[in-house]
Amino acid sequence: MNPKDLFLSSFEALVDRKVRTLLTILMVVLGSSLVVVLNGLSAGQAVFLEKQFNTLAANVLFVGSGQRGFRDASAGNALIINTVIISKIKSLPLVTDVIPEYTGSVSIDSQGNTQRVSVTSLDPTKLTVELPNLEYVDGSTVKANDRSSAIVGDTIVNPPGAANAFISLGQTIRATATYVDSSGKSVTVTKNFVVTGILKPSGNTMIDRSVIINLDAGNELLHKMNKYDQLIVAAATPDDVDTVQNEITGQFGKTLGATTPKALIAVRQQAASGNAAFILMVGIIALVVGAVGIVTTLYNSVTERIREIGTMKAIGAQNSTILALFIVEASLIGLFGASLGMIIGIGGGYVMSITTTTTPTGGGPPVHIPPIFDPIDLIKVWLLSLTLSIVAGMYPAWKASKLSPMVALRRE
Amino acid sequence: MTKDLVVEKRSQNEIVHDDSTALKVENLSKIYNSTAGRVVALDNVSFSIKKGEFVSIIGPSGSGKSTVLNMVGALDRPSSGKIYIDGIDMFSLNDSELATVRNRRIGFIFQSFNLINRTTVQKNVKLPGIIAGMSTDEADLRADKILSALGIADKKNQKPVNLSGGQQQRVAIARSLINNPSIILADEPTGNLDTKTGEDVFDMLKMLSHKFKRTIIMVTHNPELAESTDRSILLRDGRIEKDAAN
Repeated sequence: MNPKDLFLSSFEALVDRKVRTLLTILMVVLGSSLVVVLNGLSAGQAVFLEKQFNTLAANVLFVGSGQRGFRDASAGNALIINTVIISKIKSLPLVTDVIPEYTGSVSIDSQGNTQRVSVTSLDPTKLTVELPNLEYVDGSTVKANDRSSAIVGDTIVNPPGAANAFISLGQTIRATATYVDSSGKSVTVTKNFVVTGILKPSGNTMIDRSVIINLDAGNELLHKMNKYDQLIVAAATPDDVDTVQNEITGQFGKTLGATTPKALIAVRQQAASGNAAFILMVGIIALVVGAVGIVTTLYNSVTERIREIGTMKAIGAQNSTILALFIVEASLIGLFGASLGMIIGIGGGYVMSITTTTTPTGGGPPVHIPPIFDPIDLIKVWLLSLTLSIVAGMYPAWKASKLSPMVALRRE
Repeated sequence: MTKDLVVEKRSQNEIVHDDSTALKVENLSKIYNSTAGRVVALDNVSFSIKKGEFVSIIGPSGSGKSTVLNMVGALDRPSSGKIYIDGIDMFSLNDSELATVRNRRIGFIFQSFNLINRTTVQKNVKLPGIIAGMSTDEADLRADKILSALGIADKKNQKPVNLSGGQQQRVAIARSLINNPSIILADEPTGNLDTKTGEDVFDMLKMLSHKFKRTIIMVTHNPELAESTDRSILLRDGRIEKDAAN
């Protein structure tokens, strides 16, 4: 039997059992599309994370107390970051600058609307130490000691989907923060700021969604009581970052945590890839379930068509022809399932990235992380689905090919 | 070396046969061993059939009729004995070579037609040709000719399930002829048909035998039909009780 006739015969057999064939194809579609969606979203997230950290200067490292962000078994001994700590770090070799920061979240009111945003409180003139490529819109002024001025990120000024700007230069905004005092009572602090600077889009989601205020203003608004949340430590050159990190660790042990953007990327990427690997396993399990569906479908098909197989053998079909007929059926299921899975997976990836958004810490509009589909990865998933389908078809096909024609012809 | 060449080579080397003999059965025995015990289905059966002969095999249920047909059709192997078709020692061949012999030299007609209902009459008829490696054009041409000769050319695009029993059996006869086989084996070909249709189908087989010199072996329960064949072999308890011309 030539390949064309083999293909047509198998295709006819599948069409003859439309519903079952479609359901089996659907199983393969679900498995392969799930793997495609998850791969695409994971790749999108990885690129998104990398872009975020690429905006940071290569010569900085972040230092935080063990109480926040760098928690470990010795967190009980964590240091409170204050001016003494800053002086000690400043005196370390290869350290060129130490920038203290308060961070938190506030609600800002402007033109009758309210937004929940992140607030970063530091010397605004030092912002470019951390983010060297930062640019301001024309007319912006940056002052070190102005307690009533604020610099606002692009996403706050131009919220996604809004027709008009939320804030303009020179405008007064009202920031409201709440904290819980020592008696457990919730206290609200409100402060007005004049917008003296607006940031151009930086590509760093955190800074684009932040209001930057003076250090003293932040201490007051966020009720930090001179306890800094984080220090940005600038080393002389990017090559000195590891040395400075070792110096800080050597001096403060585990009471302070020092980390670099590179290490942060690695940790985040590791977490993301661990997550992706787990989710990919789920997708592959779905594919295997699809393959079991193919085994069931073709096994039933062999049982139902046992007399047909007997007749085929009686009129001279070789065992290899019967084997090939069922393998081609499995391949066609795999081919349609895998191909449809790719299309649905790509479409599903975009739909999911739009419908499932991430709300950043501190509030603000949700972040859309578009999926990224690598053609090589798509081909791999397609081949995996097809191969699994063919492997799944082998046992029923082998069973059919080994049937004795006489036994098969006798079967009702 | 192709399978045909293998077959031809074996036939030349292994036996010298009479050209007028289509089938030779020598001391054929078939014994089944089951939990119920040892059952002798065929006991030293021997006979020959000449080319163009129309032979009926008759006998009561369990006499071994179908077992003989299964052996001759190379669907089962005997416990002992030999079968030669066109001089080929059938059971010296392996399973793949036997499949080739079934395809090229034997035509099967079954009691319940055994057609593939999801496909058309024409595709059913040409299937053995396609398996033999015939081109689609040649298979179509041959199928159309045979269907015309059997008076069902107008049904070629229909599905067998939409045809009457008699028409379906004609399709099965057409399928058995597509590769121009040496022997046609018909297992109760009229068993599922009413009397009139059964007679029509039988007349068709007779026509194939007399007009086209086909060798036909027909298993039947019907003594009247058996008497209308050239020769009848009566089997009882796995042995030939009578082998006589009609």
